Amino acid sequence: MSEKGGKGFSLPTKTTPKSALKSTPASATARHDDNSAKSKRGRKVQFGMEGLPNLGFNFSSPKSDGKFAIPVGKGDWAKGGKGEKVVNGGKAPVAKEAKSLELRVEQELPENVKCLMDCEAANILEGIQEQMVMLSQDSTIKLPESFHLGLQYAKTRSYYTNPQSVRRVLEALSKYGVSYSEICVIANTCPETVDEVFALVRSLEAKKSRLSEPLKDVLDELGKLKKST
Amino acid sequence: MFFHIVLERNMQLHPRHFGRNLRENLVSKLMKDVEGTCSGRHGFVVAITGIENVGKGLIRDGTGFVTFPVKYQCVVFRPFKGEVLEAVVTMVNKMGFFAEAGPVQIFVSNHLIPDDMEFQSGDMPNYTTSDGSVKIQKDSEVRLKIIGTRVDATEIFCIGTIKDDFLGVINDPTTA
Repeated sequence: MSEKGGKGFSLPTKTTPKSALKSTPASATARHDDNSAKSKRGRKVQFGMEGLPNLGFNFSSPKSDGKFAIPVGKGDWAKGGKGEKVVNGGKAPVAKEAKSLELRVEQELPENVKCLMDCEAANILEGIQEQMVMLSQDSTIKLPESFHLGLQYAKTRSYYTNPQSVRRVLEALSKYGVSYSEICVIANTCPETVDEVFALVRSLEAKKSRLSEPLKDVLDELGKLKKST
Repeated sequence: MFFHIVLERNMQLHPRHFGRNLRENLVSKLMKDVEGTCSGRHGFVVAITGIENVGKGLIRDGTGFVTFPVKYQCVVFRPFKGEVLEAVVTMVNKMGFFAEAGPVQIFVSNHLIPDDMEFQSGDMPNYTTSDGSVKIQKDSEVRLKIIGTRVDATEIFCIGTIKDDFLGVINDPTTA
């Protein structure tokens, strides 16, 4: 393992054609120092990032490694082989990365969950805030900080004047197999072109041919519903 | 993303709260206990919108406490891998920048920032393109994609990227 590490980039499968990291060995050593400084802060970070092999970015707990292993620099390959999620091929990780970055809301949450668009959430939270003003005689009931942060976020993100009409427009997409959560992402990001939709919601790319026309119509309708700022 | 979800919780109530206002006491205790908390499965409970059902209370052996199973509806905020959202930058350093979207903190590492953006230190550290046309600094709004999440007892922390198409700065606070 250490011999392989010593050779650096001679392993052909590990040279990533995408080369998300165009780092030279000089800057790698600089980064290496930064990373060891950062790991000394003792931040235990463990992320579910199996979809990111190309970056060779391993957030490992200090128990096993304590250093951010980057595929640049000779000594790191040995450490990378300690059973962590490392680049393991040329083409397979690329497809895997694209798949794992797709929105998988429906699989991860139970069925009775309803996705809310930011404008809908803003309406609900504003209603609750008004109620709290009336109930504020009981001073022990205070709205938590996450409520205020959530409300502020939802308000700044609500671009549409009427959430119901937005919902109706986007429901036209659901008959093409677009899931509810994907519809919410489209509504929240307010895309202007069809390409933008496909770039942001990768899971729709499989249905690109079927969706392009209806999406264009839907985006035109949404444009009319946007709040004039 | 925000979700409207029905959750269930067993609430324990002390006998001093029994009486005419039992239900109100139960609801206010629920709100105090649950609003503002965060779990891995559901994310941040931002607000309770209604009580669906309060089950029959069960007296606990040995103590006078009574446990009520309560079903309630609430608005939760949970970030998802693959989700695109807009966040406000709170801190910039040479490792990357931190941003906030609602109650969630997101970190974008410099490896996930486009290569043509360089870190500039100074009073207002920022990432700038070589021609100076695009700048990421504190209070900038950026659109990013979530690529990983971590939950601990009180907050959710995410990793994001702006290295994809249609991601990056939305507006610059200096020019706005």
